[in-house]
Amino acid sequence: MDKRIWAIGGGKGGTGKSFVAASLGLHLASLDRRVLLVDADLGAPNLHTLLGIRASHPDLGDFLTNAVPSLESAAVETPYRNLRIVKGSENILFIANLNHYRKLRLLRQLRQIEVPTIILDLGTGSSFNTLDFFLSANPGVVVATPEPTAVENTYLFLKSCIMRVLKLYMDHYKIRDLHQKMLDQIEKNSQSLYGFFKSLMESDRAYGTILYRALRGFRPCLVMNKTRDERDVLLGRSIADVARKYLLIDMKYLGAVPYDEDVTSSLRDLKPFFVEHRDSAAARAVRQIAEELAYSIEFTLRTPPEISLPDA
Amino acid sequence: MLKRIEDWNYYELLAVERTASQDEIWAAYQAALTTYKDGSPALYGLVGEAERALVLDRVHEAFQTLRDPEKRKDYDLALLRHAPYFPAKAPFRRSVGRLEIEDAPPKKGLRARLRRLLVRKP
Repeated sequence: MDKRIWAIGGGKGGTGKSFVAASLGLHLASLDRRVLLVDADLGAPNLHTLLGIRASHPDLGDFLTNAVPSLESAAVETPYRNLRIVKGSENILFIANLNHYRKLRLLRQLRQIEVPTIILDLGTGSSFNTLDFFLSANPGVVVATPEPTAVENTYLFLKSCIMRVLKLYMDHYKIRDLHQKMLDQIEKNSQSLYGFFKSLMESDRAYGTILYRALRGFRPCLVMNKTRDERDVLLGRSIADVARKYLLIDMKYLGAVPYDEDVTSSLRDLKPFFVEHRDSAAARAVRQIAEELAYSIEFTLRTPPEISLPDA
Repeated sequence: MLKRIEDWNYYELLAVERTASQDEIWAAYQAALTTYKDGSPALYGLVGEAERALVLDRVHEAFQTLRDPEKRKDYDLALLRHAPYFPAKAPFRRSVGRLEIEDAPPKKGLRARLRRLLVRKP
């Protein structure tokens, strides 16, 4: 089965991660592809509200506390054909601080579950849990808005992802002492990542090559949301270019979703915007992005097979 | 491979192919100007002012060189010496190691030339 796991994440709150996740899910489901939406926003879940569904059991918390045996049985039907959802848990305090083994169990089940498309809606910020879900997806999509705050947090999020990838590989290859060195060096300035690799390549070429390959295997995608003019659309392109030069990662710019006042009003009526305003520019943009993602096989195939998470 | 911004060649800097047309180079130059202009939001939180000015200078330099066919040819030849370029569609050039595109004889009359070679007149 051609299985895809997409994760929608980003550094700043309110950029529209859940909106993008819900719209992508609705679009793919309308194309007769079975979709499972997973609300992995552990701190503040609300994906179900965007689909006009009220919170109820079973949810992700029930799966994580073993109240239901599998992720499959935690998924509930939505009013939309082919679309199911695993709702976020209301038991926030417990689940926001998910421990390592529960996280591994969830990641394993995500891999095993027999659904062609899984869309993970991630939470804000760069906690290890969020990063690991983002990195397990293929590809992870960063949602940003054209404001300096969002841009700043996008870079921070990408930097955290990079550090996490490198840390996972360092642990895997038992390169322990490098981690602190990396943290010290990367904090310094913009070209620090380059500096780190440069000095590593000089001192230990084999490890340097492994880590550099690992870094190049991390290939996130970018979506600009709430754009108001052409300048905002171009900003996404610039961000991808800067990330390529300064963070040494190959980021693909999927496109921009224009700002639409109706998104808020749809939300107030508890109806999905994507269904209510099928012909709006924003809905068209989401369809375009879904297409870009679906055809990004060539782009994502070059990623290394899988990062095996080390034991805690 | 791993390179410092200063070491990026003009094509990498503008993110265009080495075979890019003048129009493509112009478009890439405009995009780079937006990215590295003063107060550009795309650099917020990652790239400092001094660094930005440096890259912008190089972007100007790249465009000045690439837009002039003569200068571009010289640059390409110099570049080719330490960074050979193998377009994906023509892997056979790997063995030649020099600019073939402009040196190659025109494709016109290829059929006639082949016939002359293959079919010998008695």
